[in-house]
Amino acid sequence: MEEDGRRSGGIDRRAFLQGAALGLATLALPLGRADASFWESFFQKHFREMNDDEIKQVIDRLEKEYAQKFGKQIEIGADKPIPGVLYGYGLDLSRCIGCRRCVYGCVEENNQSLDPQIHWITVLRFKKGEKWVDLENSEKYYNPEKVPEEEYFYMPVQCQQCENPPCVRACPTQATWKDPDGIVVIDYNWCIGCRYCMAACPYGARRFNWGSPKRPVEKINPKTHYLGNRPRYRGVVEKCTFCIQRTRKDPGRYPACVEACPVGARKFGNLLDPNSEIRYAIEHKRVFRLKEDLNTYPKFYYFFAYGK
Amino acid sequence: MIQAIKNFFIALRQIAVGNKKYYLWVSFLSFLALLGASAYIGQLSRGLIITAMRDQVSWGMYISNFTFLVGVAAAAVLLVIPAYLYNFKPIKEIVLFGELLAITAITMCILFIIVDMGQPLRVWHILPVVGAMNFPASLLAWDVVVLNGYLIINSVIAFYVLYRLSIGKEYKMSVIGPLIILSIPWAVSIHTVTAFLYNGLSSRPFWNASILAPRFLASAFCSGPAIMLILFQIIRKLSVVEIDNKAIFKIAELIAYAMGINLFLLGAEIFKEFYSGSIHSAPIQYLYLGLHGHDKLVPWMWFATTMNISAFFLFLFPKTRENFTTLNMACLFVITGVYIEKGMGLVIPGFVPDTLGEIYEYTPTTQEILVTIGIWASGALLYTFLLKLAIPVYTGKLRFFSKTQLTAARDIMTKLVATIRAETPLDEVVKLMLSKRLTDMAVVDDSDKLIGIVSERDIISLEVGQASGKTAADLMAAPTGTVPESFHIQELGKVLASRTANLLFVVNENGQPVGTIEGSDILKSLEDIRRE
Ligand code: SF4
Ligand code: SF4
Repeated sequence: MEEDGRRSGGIDRRAFLQGAALGLATLALPLGRADASFWESFFQKHFREMNDDEIKQVIDRLEKEYAQKFGKQIEIGADKPIPGVLYGYGLDLSRCIGCRRCVYGCVEENNQSLDPQIHWITVLRFKKGEKWVDLENSEKYYNPEKVPEEEYFYMPVQCQQCENPPCVRACPTQATWKDPDGIVVIDYNWCIGCRYCMAACPYGARRFNWGSPKRPVEKINPKTHYLGNRPRYRGVVEKCTFCIQRTRKDPGRYPACVEACPVGARKFGNLLDPNSEIRYAIEHKRVFRLKEDLNTYPKFYYFFAYGK
Repeated sequence: MIQAIKNFFIALRQIAVGNKKYYLWVSFLSFLALLGASAYIGQLSRGLIITAMRDQVSWGMYISNFTFLVGVAAAAVLLVIPAYLYNFKPIKEIVLFGELLAITAITMCILFIIVDMGQPLRVWHILPVVGAMNFPASLLAWDVVVLNGYLIINSVIAFYVLYRLSIGKEYKMSVIGPLIILSIPWAVSIHTVTAFLYNGLSSRPFWNASILAPRFLASAFCSGPAIMLILFQIIRKLSVVEIDNKAIFKIAELIAYAMGINLFLLGAEIFKEFYSGSIHSAPIQYLYLGLHGHDKLVPWMWFATTMNISAFFLFLFPKTRENFTTLNMACLFVITGVYIEKGMGLVIPGFVPDTLGEIYEYTPTTQEILVTIGIWASGALLYTFLLKLAIPVYTGKLRFFSKTQLTAARDIMTKLVATIRAETPLDEVVKLMLSKRLTDMAVVDDSDKLIGIVSERDIISLEVGQASGKTAADLMAAPTGTVPESFHIQELGKVLASRTANLLFVVNENGQPVGTIEGSDILKSLEDIRRE
């Protein structure tokens, strides 16, 4: 009897100790990511310091990780900027009806977290006949039965791909930079999540993954780019990349928001090509850029094609 | 090496052993620190979503505390300047405690940055060479450089001074003088760079005002010294350290001037924002009046302003600043006032309204507050330990082992190569002496214990032929010139000085002879130590 009691006590103690040791071990393994590739990803180099082979290795590893995590093949591209291309975007304010199709088209394409919700495009609503560029009087969460509304107009804002981007200057780790085709990108494996870039961006374009991004597997777009819409991590910053996974891979293809817009308010093209749509808009319409006084030189042009 | 290890244990014991009050205080702080740690573990497993920060207000309580503490750290300089440059004696003596406070504050700053990071494991990405530090473009990279530099400078100064005191020596100005001179502009730089961190962002009109850096410095020179004044009184009460009232009142006077400047700069800012009334005055309206019905910070800001103004007058008049009740009140007012003004009062309005005009009112969550409390408790714990060590060193109660105390007889002796027995014939003794070049021989018994000494001189003094047939026993003298193995150099010197012979026998704890020491051995090792 006594013997038994002691033995069971011993087992309990051992089980307890084992449990405690296991607990400590998981604590020691940073954030419980105990898989073998943890150290590989921990020591991964800065994207721009890797040669093509190294980039390929990293992408292979990431594809494996994603396959494991989502049970789905996700293709990660690393297409380089195309020489002689500088992307620019145009938005016709006289056409925009504030329907937010661009917002959701973007979310569908770019694998943002659905819970918590992350949008790269914000559509602002302004009352006609009042102060306008005073953004403080805009409304972000408008929710009418039907758009457009007679007494309002709308202005979508997303990353303006500044030629002189304050976010890039701010980043202490060079985790975000401007590529030669003018797209400002982020390496999600290098960003430390300090959010200094968010403080520096004058356009509220950057989003942070406050929690773990969640998205049902069937909604994951498997065609991705390393610097664009591949699945993100908790604790890193993301933003619009002019759909780098489309626009670099198939030159001439539009970003998802351009395709989603039902009224054709969105224009996209190569600023260096005199015959591009965007050049036509800039040269023939009354264009302006947001917060020009800050000298960020956005490559995102607002204009009025017609209207009252 | 042994010396370092020994001294480490002395320091450890000094920290680990205390009275009941000390244990109570340490347990209290540890409890809070653990509470914070568990909240942080929660944050690690779920992400920063457990805080109230969101895309609109992307920095909150952590960065606010960071900003406030940079000011506290910088303020150590306020004490260094008069102490060393003008040789104002009463302050000079207490600079050490200020420097320890700076070390603590910077450590807390680093902790606040770490807990604010989304990917803390990647912190090395910010380093030069191994990482990809964006220097000189990013002000955050500058901040990393100046804060760590400041931590190193202050640690070197404080620990060097402590070390010298602990081995009973004055510190050499030629060694730390240049560092102290360097620390003065450096202290200004940590606060300036931190101000520039905000200041340089054209996206945030509230921060993008040239007055920001001067205001930062002015307010830092209020809150930092105020914290020290309170700490000094506590130190004075709990230990035998004497801190002159003169020093305390002098610092209080300096706070009055700093606060005067701070209030003036605030006034200038308020005038500009409200009189010109551009759209960029929205944040300051939000701060002091509320914006579109959002006014969570308003009562706090008025409270802080009231605190600061009252403290200014309390510090200004000699009557109130030299009365400890009103002085301490003023200190608490200043600390609270600046904590609000330079903490959340600075960080939050940078984000409200946000760059697209949205107003998101930030109120920290419980977990955020717990993590913050945890870091403050850890800081208090660190400062407590530093003081526990520094105070007795400073007052001369605690002394570390120095090299002279650690070099023992066993380290410098010449090992014994031969011994003789009482019955050993003298002929043989002479042979041994000649072959081994010995002047004195140890005589041992059956258990190898030292029972006597036969010296060259005694043998020489015998007349020719007398030696034959005699044994060591006939000549040996009592073993008086012996020392234990553990005697250190200074003790050896003393023993040797009291004797006529120039040789000592070293014996182990069983009384067995193990070696010999000559005067020249002692001289040589003293010289080695001196040269080190
Ligand atoms: S809009 Fe913001 S995120 Fe985009 S490039 Fe400009 S500063 Fe950077
Ligand atoms: S959050 Fe990431 S991208 Fe932004 S500044 Fe910090 S490290 Fe750079």
